[in-house]
Parts: sequence; structure tokens; C-alpha cells
Amino acid sequence: MVYEFRYLAPKSKAKLCAMLLEHAQDGKLLAGGTDLLPNIRNGVFRLKYVIDLKQLPGAASLKYSQQDGLILGPAVTINDVLRNRTARRLYPVLCDCAHELASHQIRNRATVAGNVANASPCSDMAPALLCLGATAVIRSATGQRTIPFTQFFAGVKKTVMLPGEFLEHIIIPPAASPAAGRYLKLKRIAGHDLGIVGVLGTLQDGKRRFAVSSAAPTPVLVENVAAGDDESTVVKKVLAAVSPISDVRSSKEYREHMIGVFVQRLLQEVQ
Amino acid sequence: MKIKVTVNGQLYERDVLEHKTLLRFLREDLGLTGTKEGCGMGECGACTVFFNGKVMNSCMILAVEADGATIDTIEGESRGPSLTDIQKAMEKNNSVQCGFCTPGMVMSIKELLQNKAKPSIPEIKEAIEGNFCRCTGYVQIIEAVLDVTGRSKEKGELKHV
Ligand SMILES: Cc1cc2nc3c(=O)[nH]c(=O)nc-3n(C[C@H](O)[C@H](O)[C@H](O)COP(=O)(O)OP(=O)(O)OC[C@H]3O[C@@H](n4cnc5c(N)ncnc54)[C@H](O)[C@@H]3O)c2cc1C
Ligand code: FES
Ligand code: FES
Repeated sequence: MVYEFRYLAPKSKAKLCAMLLEHAQDGKLLAGGTDLLPNIRNGVFRLKYVIDLKQLPGAASLKYSQQDGLILGPAVTINDVLRNRTARRLYPVLCDCAHELASHQIRNRATVAGNVANASPCSDMAPALLCLGATAVIRSATGQRTIPFTQFFAGVKKTVMLPGEFLEHIIIPPAASPAAGRYLKLKRIAGHDLGIVGVLGTLQDGKRRFAVSSAAPTPVLVENVAAGDDESTVVKKVLAAVSPISDVRSSKEYREHMIGVFVQRLLQEVQ
Repeated sequence: MKIKVTVNGQLYERDVLEHKTLLRFLREDLGLTGTKEGCGMGECGACTVFFNGKVMNSCMILAVEADGATIDTIEGESRGPSLTDIQKAMEKNNSVQCGFCTPGMVMSIKELLQNKAKPSIPEIKEAIEGNFCRCTGYVQIIEAVLDVTGRSKEKGELKHV
């Protein structure tokens, strides 16, 4: 890397939280490092400490129970989810989003928790977690709090986590019947790329939900779609919930247009 | 920081700088320069190595994170002049031009074939989506994989050159 920093690898959550507080100004957590290390190299982050969470006990645990649903530790990678049979069977929508994220090598390293903790507007895992009603378990030295992902993102690259806190688990609730759905992601190259815009449409117990990435300061969940809404009403509702900008990857108008196209396609496909 | 890491079957104990990437550790500290740095930030795949049995971008891993890990690189593929089947197929199918992408490409193909004996063309494309090649246009690389898995003969799918 371009400058020197110290590497810390605490083996307990208490130690990790203490380090996070102590280094709130000059340190950051390291999970898969696929966001953090390029940002260090680019000089976006000037850090003195990198705090690895992968040596915490149970960090890579991926558990399912009928009572609690799917529980992901902070070191569970995107491909850990894709390789897990239960995840594929009961949470196909989660896997569809996971499959769209970056390249195979990156999916072997990148974590689900790191993807949402990073809070990029173009996070590909956020749409699934939003539509599936997932919650974030946030840990600090003084305890734990649980919040739904609808309240987790605070802005571009910002979450509601405070200094000294970290994302300890992601919980995706069990469902009597798996949500059907599909994630349509527009990108410049077929293989791996950050999205220009992405729309996930799900249908679960008769309820339609949409979640949109790369179209607002945070990933957005649209829940106010009614069963009787016609196509153009649904498109209007989704567009009302987002606020796309023009940037290096696309214009605002193109994003809006493609959100409409994707919503229409999803309404036809996901029945 | 002191680390112990097994690279291509050999155990190394080294003192490394904590901010050094695994890629630079392999190249500079161990002299294994087969693995390349293209972009240094996850885009190109030239730095792809096996980390505990799965391919990853060594430019986005710190050497200290590899403490206790098993790493496999392109140097572990051939011993002296003998090439592996994947390498032979790549040579035969003109899949190597400048060769800069090849070490990483071979790693990704190797992981694919460990999981799937006869991958389809879409599966091959997905496996190498994180490996950029600026020379071949990929067709020859895909053909090499079909060749080594015996699929091109079976289906007569691709004929090139
Ligand atoms: C070439 C390339 C292509 C990419 N393509 C995509 C893509 O298509 N879609 C996409 O969504 N992303 C993409 N990414 C971004 C990145 O790979 C993902 O966001 C990844 O999931 C991040 O996970 P990580 O474990 O590597 O995070 P890290 O880099 O380790 O961490 C990311 C950030 O979150 C913090 N953090 C990590 N874990 C926690 C935790 N448990 N609690 C609190 N804070 C934490 C870190 O301090 C850091 O600031 C791409 C990256 C690259 C380099
Ligand atoms: S050098 Fe690692 S991906 Fe380009
Ligand atoms: S052969 Fe030159 S980049 Fe692939």
C-alpha cells in the first residue's frame, strides 16, 4: 500500500469495540478489504490502523433456523452465501443480488456485511436485505442494538453506526414461502461492474416490493405498491421514491428511464 | 509482523511490513514474479492467486492476513519444463499473446475446473469475468478451456483459426 499503517487483529468482540473507539479518527475495520484497500491505495482514507474482524470467534458463521431465519456473521462472503444450499433454496432473491456483485474472485473475498457497512448507493446486497425485511445487529462495548435495514443507511457512504460500533450480524427473517423475484442491474460491461442502476422486484405472500440501487443517496425500498396498481402507477411510485443524479456513469434521465423499463419487466416476470 | 505462510507447498516464515499487499510480498519478498500487478485495485485479475483453495485478488489482501494461510500461484503449476493440461491447452489454442493476464487467468480456470468438470461457455465466461485480457479477445481462452475439458470435440461448438 502507498503509506504505512498498523494491522490489528483482535480475537474478542470486547477488544475489537475498544480498538474501534480508540481509533475512531485514524482507524477502520477490515473485512474482505475489497472496498477498504482500494480506498487506502487511492488516498481516499488516510489511516494509521486497520482493524481486521476476521479473527473474531464465529465471524464466518452462516446459520439457518426455522425460528430465526438466516444469520450471517461479519466475515461471511458473497460466495459463502451463493454456495449455501439453504440460502439458495429459501432466499433465491438474496442469491440473485449476490450473483450480480463484482467478479468471481471478489465474491470469494468480499463480505455481505462489508457491502452494506460501506453504504454505497450502488450496494448490490442492500436491495435484497431491504425487500426481505432483514435487520442489522450492531454491537458496541456497552451492548447490542437491532435495527431494520430500512433505518440503517444514513446517506452516501454513511450508516447509523456510531464510533465504536460494528455490524455483528445480519438477520434475514424466515418466511413461510420464499420470496420470488429478480434483480435487474444495468452496467457497462457484462462481467463485473458497479451498477448504473439496479432494481429488485419481489413478490412474497401476495405483496410486491421493489428496491432500487444507484438511484438515490442510499439504496431505497418501495413498499407502497398495492395489489391493484396498474403498471404506470407502480412505475410512478418507484420513481417518486428515488432521486437519481447525473454522474460519470450515467445521466439522471437515463437512470429514470431504465428504472421504468426494469419495473415494467419485473411486473411481467415476477408473478 | 512475523507470518508463516505456505506458498506452493513450501512453508515460509517471514517478517513483513503490515501495510504490504500479499501481491507485493509474493513478488518482492519471495521472488515469485509470475503473479502480476495490473491495476492494483481489484479490476483486472492479473494478481489472482489461490488463498486457502479459492481464487482471490492478491492486490487487495494484506500479506499479514495470509498468516497461517495456504497460497498457490502460477509458479506451482509447472515444475521445470513440464506444463499442466490447462497451460498446454492455452499454448495450443493461442490463448497467450503478451502473457500478462495468463498467470491470473490460469488460476481462475483452475478453480473453475476443480468445481466443474465440463463447464459451459457461459460458466467459463463467468469464471474469468474478473480477468481482463487486452490481447486475445477471450475467444482463444474459452477455446482452451473447452479443449482441455473435451467439450469442443463433443459439441463441435467453437472453431477458431
Ligand atoms: C473491481 C470491483 C468491483 C466491485 N463491484 C461491486 C459490485 O458490482 N457491487 C457492489 O455492491 N460492490 C462492488 N464492489 C465493492 C465491494 O467489493 C463490495 O462492497 C464488498 O461487498 C465489500 O465487502 P468487503 O468485505 O470487501 O468490505 P471491506 O472493504 O472490508 O469494508 C468496507 C467498509 O465497511 C467497513 N466494514 C466492513 N465490515 C464491517 C462491519 N462488520 N461493521 C462495520 N463496518 C464494517 C470497513 O471499515 C470499510 O469502510 C466492487 C469492488 C471492486 C474493487
Ligand atoms: S492487480 Fe489485482 S486486480 Fe488488477
Ligand atoms: S495475452 Fe495479453 S493481456 Fe491477455
